[in-house]
Amino acid sequence: MSQNPATGSVVVSDWHRCKDGKEYFNKILHRKKRKIFGLLESPVMPPHVAVDTVHYKIFLTGKSGVGKTALAARLTGRNIPNVHYETTGVETTVVFWPVKLRDSGRVLFLRLQLWDCGENALRRFDHLLPSCKEQVDAVLFLFSFTDRTSFDDLPNQISKWTEESAGRLVKLVVGTKFDLFMHCDVAQRDVRDFQETWRLPVLRVGGEVSNGLDDVSPLLNCLAEQLWHHDCVTAGSVGLQQETVTLL
Amino acid sequence: MMLQDGSTQLLCLTASSGVPLFTRGASKQLPFSVIGSLNGVHMFGGGQGVVLSGCETEGGGKVVWRVFQDSVMLIAVNGGGQGGVGCSREEEVRLQRLLENVWNCMVLVLGQDELANIRNVERLKRDLRSCFGLIDQMLEERQEGVLGSLTHCADLLLPPNPTLLQEAVDGFAEAADSEFGCLIIHGRIAAATEKWWRLAPQEVVLLSALIRSLSDSASASCDYPVFLPHGSPTVAHRLLRFQLLPGADVCVLCGPSPSLHTAETGLVGRFWAPLVETLRDCLAVGERCVPQAVNLRPDVLALLLINRETRRSVSSVLHPLADAPPPSKARCWELLKLFYIFSTTRYFTQEESVCVSTEESGPRGRANDFARGFSHQPLQCYLVTEECKSYALQTPQHQLFLLFPPSVPTFVLRTAATQTLSDVVAATGL
Repeated sequence: MSQNPATGSVVVSDWHRCKDGKEYFNKILHRKKRKIFGLLESPVMPPHVAVDTVHYKIFLTGKSGVGKTALAARLTGRNIPNVHYETTGVETTVVFWPVKLRDSGRVLFLRLQLWDCGENALRRFDHLLPSCKEQVDAVLFLFSFTDRTSFDDLPNQISKWTEESAGRLVKLVVGTKFDLFMHCDVAQRDVRDFQETWRLPVLRVGGEVSNGLDDVSPLLNCLAEQLWHHDCVTAGSVGLQQETVTLL
Repeated sequence: MMLQDGSTQLLCLTASSGVPLFTRGASKQLPFSVIGSLNGVHMFGGGQGVVLSGCETEGGGKVVWRVFQDSVMLIAVNGGGQGGVGCSREEEVRLQRLLENVWNCMVLVLGQDELANIRNVERLKRDLRSCFGLIDQMLEERQEGVLGSLTHCADLLLPPNPTLLQEAVDGFAEAADSEFGCLIIHGRIAAATEKWWRLAPQEVVLLSALIRSLSDSASASCDYPVFLPHGSPTVAHRLLRFQLLPGADVCVLCGPSPSLHTAETGLVGRFWAPLVETLRDCLAVGERCVPQAVNLRPDVLALLLINRETRRSVSSVLHPLADAPPPSKARCWELLKLFYIFSTTRYFTQEESVCVSTEESGPRGRANDFARGFSHQPLQCYLVTEECKSYALQTPQHQLFLLFPPSVPTFVLRTAATQTLSDVVAATGL
């Protein structure tokens, strides 16, 4: 697999703050909050600014209670439940995210479908994991800053996926509950070392969900960059044919 | 009582040894010694050949017990007092129903085998955590206007365009290799396949509750393993659920195929994309649940109509004016529930909805004594309180419960009720 692209080299970072991004980001907002899309809906742009939508399937993995469901909720701008309930099956969440490619200036809507499955359910029912792996494009490995074991288990998890997929997948590491520094169990140095060893991007999330796009944009842009770059490398050229589906 | 007024706490223990498995509800937990005593007194009764099913405290608190599969004991404790709803018999019925629902939730998620044959208590404790989401939902009864967990009749939303939706649900289920399909709008069933209606009424209600909680989380689709407490308590099926529009969910119960990915990419758009506008019309019916085209008398505050044969119900609180005089909308729902329990425990008693059906059904005894006092089966009843006037009537096929404002003359109630019944049934075919 090729080198990971540097942050901001593929898509324009902080595009949601730029003036020309506004009309696109408005499509994923409703009364200043994130809009929730049913499966039959998608952001609709006026006909003269037709934008392609690229679909990706992303699997969230990590120890029980690490915050997989909460991360999915955060990325769609929903409130995170105060009480932790186990996810007893597979739940998927759709995130639409507009990006502007740095080279060509082309705008794309990414439709990221996050697949989240409770660890206990995975253990109890054999059919769930294959269903999550079917045509998956990326895996987010989650660990919690408040749970050392979840961090220590990462190499194990990552190598499991590497063997099977042989570089076919985009991999990203996300550290959750970064705001609870009082209970922090994973030192910054450890994270740095880990990052050097594995050469995977490590992102941090935590704290209250705000309605703005600021707290989700680093993660979503990073993911977008990796996915798009990976697609380009796989296709062997930049002007590749993407599967584009536009739902009405 | 050591509980706050009106709050309900649920305790779950192993029936044989009294090991606590979990407690839910109420912010302040009962002390361990009290839990031990509650278990002890039930066990003492068992030793004397007596089944203790419920008791009442001086302060108006209530405790009900029930053992399931000789394996798990559930105890519900209510603090009584000001916050408590209704009088004690209503409360006891509500708690008994709660225990039954909670047990069904546990079976739905874990399957009966794991609960009936406890091999490793610590492991069961851990596994039971996966039921808390649903159990808490049962305890809190979060959504106004969904009465299924009480009536064990499916809550319906009557769509303005039923034929189109019915065809789509049938076609969608068939394409997903399933005979069980259902469309849920605002947490209520708008259309379902014939087989879906053959599931036990409790299962229909329970699945609706599960789908409601999944729909609230706003996830786009789900693949949930579920055990059916009556139809398939030991073999799990897959519940596939797709959020078509926010508030509109379609689901199927199926076997190993199709995969969630296949069903979502291949079937959802094909069957439902042409119906987006129809679905939006359906969502617009909202909490009223009855299409605007159905004319209801302007003096009806709230209604609950049950079809006794099909075990389906539709309920609605009608507040035409924003600044309507009290009772408030929330209170209307509360009053409707209380009046339902009042009527079904005292007058419409042969109705199997109140029968807790099996072994130990607590409130039956007294209710039966009361009913035996009559030489006939009451067909109508009414209740006049300071807050509202209520009227209920039953026919072999239907039961109708209505709330009116206190200003409506009592002698009008019967005519109004009869008229409402025939109007709604004629317009909706329920």
